[in-house]
Amino acid sequence: MRSYAAGRAALAVVQLAVLSVLVFVLTSLLPGDAADMRFDETLSPEQVSRLREQLGLDQPALERFLHWFSGVLTGDLGTSLISGGPVSEIVRDSVGATLVLTLATLAVVIPLAVALGILMGTRENGRLDRAITSVTLALSAIPDFVIAVVLVAVFSLKLGWLPATWIGGSLLTSPVLLVLPVTVLLGRTVCLLSRQVRAGTITALNADYVVQARRLGVPRRRLLLRHVLPNAAVPGVQELARTGDTLLGGVLVVEAIFAIPGFATALVDGVETRDIPTVQGLTLVLAVAALLINLGADLVCNRLVPRTELLR
Amino acid sequence: MRARIPLAISVVLVVVPLFIALFGPLISVDSNKAGLPYSADGVLGTDGLGRDVLGLLLVGGRTALGMAFGAVLIAYAVGGLIGLVAASTRHRWLDEVLIRPLDVLLPLPSLLVISVVAVGWQASAPAITLAVAMVNVPTVARLVRAAALDAASSPVVEALRMQRESWATIQLGYVGRAVIGPVAADIGTRITLAVFLVASVNFLGLGLSPTASDWAVSVSRNREGLLLQPWSVLAPAILLVSFTLGFNLLADRLVHHTRRLAVSPV
Repeated sequence: MRSYAAGRAALAVVQLAVLSVLVFVLTSLLPGDAADMRFDETLSPEQVSRLREQLGLDQPALERFLHWFSGVLTGDLGTSLISGGPVSEIVRDSVGATLVLTLATLAVVIPLAVALGILMGTRENGRLDRAITSVTLALSAIPDFVIAVVLVAVFSLKLGWLPATWIGGSLLTSPVLLVLPVTVLLGRTVCLLSRQVRAGTITALNADYVVQARRLGVPRRRLLLRHVLPNAAVPGVQELARTGDTLLGGVLVVEAIFAIPGFATALVDGVETRDIPTVQGLTLVLAVAALLINLGADLVCNRLVPRTELLR
Repeated sequence: MRARIPLAISVVLVVVPLFIALFGPLISVDSNKAGLPYSADGVLGTDGLGRDVLGLLLVGGRTALGMAFGAVLIAYAVGGLIGLVAASTRHRWLDEVLIRPLDVLLPLPSLLVISVVAVGWQASAPAITLAVAMVNVPTVARLVRAAALDAASSPVVEALRMQRESWATIQLGYVGRAVIGPVAADIGTRITLAVFLVASVNFLGLGLSPTASDWAVSVSRNREGLLLQPWSVLAPAILLVSFTLGFNLLADRLVHHTRRLAVSPV
């Protein structure tokens, strides 16, 4: 276990280094640099070149990377071209809403998906299993923005029960703001996850050790919780890490639709205004978060079922 | 076996949007003729810019589905080749060189990569298609490698090698064929995911221009008008959902089919 964790953590460090290079290269190779983007035709060529000097854009790419990277290591993500403030401030201001949104969704998704998955798995091919499978299969085929647009139209515009957009105030103090966004995010994640838990449950239920435990008269409740669930959870946890990607995509869309001032909104704003340092900073933070989630999922899987091989 | 939704329904769900995407542009009428916004003129009314919804619908499928298909095609051309070579090589270092870098790229959030690409090449369909493809390459390569590894280490390949069959005959003829089953099932879900991804990018306004006729862009642009003129949003949304739902059902059927083949006694 310990050597596995060490090996896996070492891989994460390598991934982190490669990712930061990648983020920088992807964003700096873009056609037209920040100086061009910031002032189109209103400045004379001399002014543009002075600005470029000021922003350090006239230096070679490697030097710029080293400057940026050494800043990143000390927590300095650079300066926004639009607001003029530090990028880390933008990150700090926007991370809260996204975190609340994601955690609230996970708090509903995980118990729901595990319960549904076990419910389906223990009744393989029964009527309930077939009904839930069909519904989840259909639900997982609907893009989240379609669900969002329809839900907003029905529950906010037509019935007026729930707010359609974020209207200020904290997400924590007025949880009613979270109802529609979380519902939208639930759809696909619950479907993907519960299917994995179902498959894991079925495999575990048919495994020799469970059959033997049942023969020995282990009570059903104990059998499910102690013997089936840990093994059934492995594909679920791995899927959860992969779902992180789907969930993040969903969060981007949901934040855009409900005008929640979170990470995604900041990122889309940065993209639209070509604020490269902001995009770099936000991208890096998100990539690190995704990395940590994957690392965590692998470690949890290894803890649950210690036979998991390193990579592959 | 459990009863599933009839095959015919899934096929119809896929074929209708596909047909519109393929042949719609040929029969479309002039869609730029502006009328009143959200009016009831025409079969399906007009959208927020006063354009005929039916006309937009006929041309909007090309980007919505075409970009996704293109992305999956490229992902398989690149990732599939990497996976096949990695699985069939007898040099362990080559396998490592090909697969390790992909391990590093795997956890990159896909929408993130695409939005970064979109900073530079906004509204460019080929650039978004390429970005969606690249996001899929690591998973495809690993899947193909895993599927091909069993076949590549079988006695059959050993025998073919001893008969001095060419690399292409062995890899494409035997190993490639063994991979088809899992790949076909994966393509089904991957195309759905690609449609999702392309649609989300376009919906967020990071992809095509906000006035494009694309189905996802239409849903995004007309969403305020949903109650005024529902078809401007519902029609493109229904076509998108119909396609992904149908493909999901077909892929699910295929997964069960291959799984049944795999467990059936030889």
